[in-house]
Amino acid sequence: MTIEQAAALVPDGSTVAIGGLSMNCSPMAMVRELIRQGRRDLRVVAIVNGMAVDWLIAAGCLRRLVTALISFEGLGLAPHFRRAAESGAVEVEEYSEYLLIARLRAAATRVPFIPTKAGLGTDIIGLHPETTRLEADPVTGEAYVACTPLPVDVAIVHAHAADEHGNVRVDPKLIWMDNEIVNAAQTTIVTVERIVPHHTFVATPERTTYPRFVVTAVAEAPWGAYPTSCFPQYAHDAQFYADYTQAARDEAAFGRFWRERVAGPQTHCAFLEASGGQAALMRLRRGAP
Amino acid sequence: MSAAAPVPAHTVDELMIATLAREFDDSTRAFNGAVSYIPVCAYLLARRTHAPGLVWAASSIAIDADPVQLGESTLSDSIWGGATMLSNSPFDFWAYAQGMRYNTFAFRGAQIDRYGNVNNSVIGPYARPRVRLPGGGGMADLSCMIPNIYLWSTTHDRKTFVPRLDFRSGIGWGDGGGHRERLGLPGGPRLCITNLCVMDFHAELKAMRLKSLHQGVTVGAVQDATGFEVLLPETEIPQTVPPDAEQLRVLREQVDPTAMRLREFR
Repeated sequence: MTIEQAAALVPDGSTVAIGGLSMNCSPMAMVRELIRQGRRDLRVVAIVNGMAVDWLIAAGCLRRLVTALISFEGLGLAPHFRRAAESGAVEVEEYSEYLLIARLRAAATRVPFIPTKAGLGTDIIGLHPETTRLEADPVTGEAYVACTPLPVDVAIVHAHAADEHGNVRVDPKLIWMDNEIVNAAQTTIVTVERIVPHHTFVATPERTTYPRFVVTAVAEAPWGAYPTSCFPQYAHDAQFYADYTQAARDEAAFGRFWRERVAGPQTHCAFLEASGGQAALMRLRRGAP
Repeated sequence: MSAAAPVPAHTVDELMIATLAREFDDSTRAFNGAVSYIPVCAYLLARRTHAPGLVWAASSIAIDADPVQLGESTLSDSIWGGATMLSNSPFDFWAYAQGMRYNTFAFRGAQIDRYGNVNNSVIGPYARPRVRLPGGGGMADLSCMIPNIYLWSTTHDRKTFVPRLDFRSGIGWGDGGGHRERLGLPGGPRLCITNLCVMDFHAELKAMRLKSLHQGVTVGAVQDATGFEVLLPETEIPQTVPPDAEQLRVLREQVDPTAMRLREFR
């Protein structure tokens, strides 16, 4: 399937969970395509994220955000997230990382709640008395937080390889929290660095991460996590983050940056070309796949 | 003891890191989150000096990482070199944290209160914040799970050390006294290390108490920079022990030769 066809599986108004962790391995090629197709009113679940969410907010695709942390880390605050949250343009449903994992697991395992001590005594719990309830064990009286299911319509993650049947390999198997969103989702879209022959999966089945019946659609997107990283193949592009943050200080400058570097390029290749193409990418290259 | 060797020239980042490193030993099993240069440097410094058995999971992922230098993110693979295991969040990390196999966690806050609770979510009213901060990430969780908590701040002023948080993203000693214990949470904050001083917590009240002053800093200066009353110990307040020559050499040459730690002081 092409990136364009896969993106069409995401309806307006749906709950979409985006994979990756901070500057690591978000499905940026697919996020860009959602922006190009003009998706609206999305409720985005992004547990620890930065650039993908900032793009979706900048493009006006995002209505509500379910998250534990959005930043560019040492490179600063995510500018559109910050502005939209401060103005109220985007509604932020803030949880902590483990409370979101527990809520996704409750959805995945079809149980009414998962108990945890995470978040006890913090204000996070009070924000959502309906989804993360403060309760006490009926026998011992011990306090816990009951995390209710967080069902996801579409999970979008990036991985290293898939075969023609939709079996997917994250290799090395460093899956952040991606499997939590995949397990909680009705539809799973995976972009991969490359499509490889099925027999390579049969040869090393222990390296398979998601089997074909869990995966709805696969689209090949080399450098599909750029400008985030895809360990161990390439690093995040600190220059892109710096240019983006710099441009975001001024509306006109950001408009230009957005057209030239993010939303404007017609294809994924043109998008990579706009940030320096092959020469720039080679500087981010790490180990061989 | 022979006469004390002259104190080598050092900067406040080096003093904070050396002070935190001295808290750790071979039983320390730590990990780190985002923008955590001070604790990352302290774990590496402790391990490369007096605590070779210390466990540190870089970015909470790369166990026993031994990076040749630090990168622009403490949550990226730039600091995973030399690791013996890349652990996965859902299967390994959270199980180890909840089982207290990890026992040490350091965090900071845009706001910190007297009981060591922190805010990294919003400044101002929650619904219409004056500043929307990144959010606590795993702080609300880990501050409930990990027994040895260390706080640090590179901005000891009244904006950071406030009488009342705008939002509690992570728990320290909660409402003070036995609150944490009543919630069934292990341990609590041990120290708060700032650019002015080191504070511990009063044994019963669990409120911040001055433990040592950095060179040239007075009690009055700390109190002026703090939005709540800092408790004073009954004994004389010593000067914070400066880093020794070996700590400075290892920190500067091996742990963080490109001085990424200074990113915490912008």
